[in-house]
Amino acid sequence: MGFLDNSGDIILDAVLTDHGRKLLAKGDGSFQITKFALADDEINYTLYNNAHPSGSAYYDIEILQTPVLEAFTDNAGSLKTKLISYNSMNLLYLPVIKLNQQTVATKFHTSGSFIVAVDAETEGTTNNNNQFAVGYNGTNPVQGVIFGETLTDGSHIRLDQGIDSSEITARETLDPDLIEDTYIIQIDNRLGKIATTNGDMVPEDYIDDDNIAFYTVDIGLVSQITDDSNSSKEAIEGPRGTRLEFKIAASINLSTSTFLFTKLGGESVLEGKNVRHIDSIVRVTGMKTGYSVDIPVRFVKSKLS
Amino acid sequence: MAESFYKSLDIGKDVVSTRTLLHEAIPLTGTIISGTYGVANIKSYAHGMFQSVYDYPYLSSSANYIFDITTGVGANSAIHASVNASGQKSKKLNIYNQMAQVLMGYDHLGAIQRFDEDGDILAGGNKLDNVIFLNFSRLLTKDEIKKGTFSLKLGANAAYATPMTKLLEITDASGSSGFLVNSPVGEYGILFAKQSTGNPLAATNVKCGLLFYQAGICALTSSVLQQLLTTPVSASATGTATFSDLLTGSTIDTFANSFRHRINNLQFNNTVELNSSVYFCRVNHNEYNYSTNPTYLSGSKIRVKTQTSDLPVSYITTVGLYNDNNELLATAKLSEPLKKSSDTEFTIRVRLDY
Repeated sequence: MGFLDNSGDIILDAVLTDHGRKLLAKGDGSFQITKFALADDEINYTLYNNAHPSGSAYYDIEILQTPVLEAFTDNAGSLKTKLISYNSMNLLYLPVIKLNQQTVATKFHTSGSFIVAVDAETEGTTNNNNQFAVGYNGTNPVQGVIFGETLTDGSHIRLDQGIDSSEITARETLDPDLIEDTYIIQIDNRLGKIATTNGDMVPEDYIDDDNIAFYTVDIGLVSQITDDSNSSKEAIEGPRGTRLEFKIAASINLSTSTFLFTKLGGESVLEGKNVRHIDSIVRVTGMKTGYSVDIPVRFVKSKLS
Repeated sequence: MAESFYKSLDIGKDVVSTRTLLHEAIPLTGTIISGTYGVANIKSYAHGMFQSVYDYPYLSSSANYIFDITTGVGANSAIHASVNASGQKSKKLNIYNQMAQVLMGYDHLGAIQRFDEDGDILAGGNKLDNVIFLNFSRLLTKDEIKKGTFSLKLGANAAYATPMTKLLEITDASGSSGFLVNSPVGEYGILFAKQSTGNPLAATNVKCGLLFYQAGICALTSSVLQQLLTTPVSASATGTATFSDLLTGSTIDTFANSFRHRINNLQFNNTVELNSSVYFCRVNHNEYNYSTNPTYLSGSKIRVKTQTSDLPVSYITTVGLYNDNNELLATAKLSEPLKKSSDTEFTIRVRLDY
């Protein structure tokens, strides 16, 4: 998409999304605009310079000069960072969602992402590790490897929510309006599905036209963080809200076929073994605050031949 | 997602439907039609019933189809019986009848109405039985030809080699104020021929055809290059054949070639009926002052505030329109970021055209 001409008056470039056109074509009345939302997708707030030597009128001069892209028709590619209304105008801190990598079971693999071993051969077993497996180092599970077929053992993903600042003590209570009790998880449905840490599959809400599955999760995967100490196991420094924990199950396609690996991925060496891989992202968004985190995930399958 | 991201629209107050007519000028210079690309932009068909004109050699993917030329001779025409075997008698009759049934409709007995010179069918009057049809593409006419804007200049010099030294102009001059509605395909106007260069017409402002606005079809009497002129024009580079001769003794293709040779200029305005829905997105002072943008926070601290009492600020670049299921149906982008804080309110007007 090109940039919009910003040399004159403010103009608005409006388009129907692909999904909007689909509903319009259905002709069943499902194309009914009833609400709106605002977003600031292009804005980089780090450009806000409240130490600008020319004074406060110049604090946001660089932000206001940001060129804006034309509207995308892809419904999944627009309004990624929405604006939000809070009753209080005096908020100085907002909660974040942060990967908790304070324990071995929830850490990234040393390669810098979570690894999902998509079949049992790739996972390996404690007692009978095969020559192609990447899941075990001797008898111990390898850090950051999620067992995507058996969903036993291995790592899981853990996210903590709260105000991550040392300027407020963790013993303070987080405003209930800022505590997330429900999260949305987005994952490429061709690659994986969401499961509880016990290995139970979580049903998705829907799968959009770009093959992204949406899961709304609460009790079962979400729990209150009760520890208000300065424990090294906590990722959030200040007042804490909830914790989300889940695993990723590999799709049947990835478990049983190399087709998608050939089409979407590449080959690499992991834990000294040759593997096929596909890199993807799992997005977690808080329902209340809208804060989102993109978690890098690599799906791997041993090269058996 | 929480309702603090979405604001409901009051359908009665915040949504308005509008209808706007837009017009474009469509100038077609005669050289494109009769020579710039030779015949590379002219498509003839094996069936020989019409000829298509493109704005560029039609084998190119850049070419746009602009109009068709064909001709019809009705059964009541004085020359109908004279049309010989090489003159595609049945095809000219079929074309005439086809166009007449679509454009003029049927009488109460189910018989096809003939083209009427002044549109007053009940009064009888002159009928147009030898007709040249120019069928404009939808790409050009869009929803309709704007009334009163049609102009076709034809070269009316007798000599075939120098057709443009005398010109006549055909317009629907009365179209903007007076038009007829007794056609099954919508409104139509009467075409008049007037002198343009060199006074080739025997009389000026003479009726010479019909222009069907919504159908985008010009039905022109072949007399315009024959009986209406002081000197009938030559229709053949190699002989003395007139357009009447071509009607009786030549194919539709040959006729169309000779007619194109005499098109000097063709222009009209089209009309697009634009139906719009306007959504007034009203943002109050206490709304949308915070962002979920990851760069909005440093740690958990809001970057645009240094102390609690500072006003929260956000910058709007995008408006999303949603249905009840929070499915994104339309997006609108502002050309530059709009600063939003708790001391400002906005109404952003988003227009969707259909």
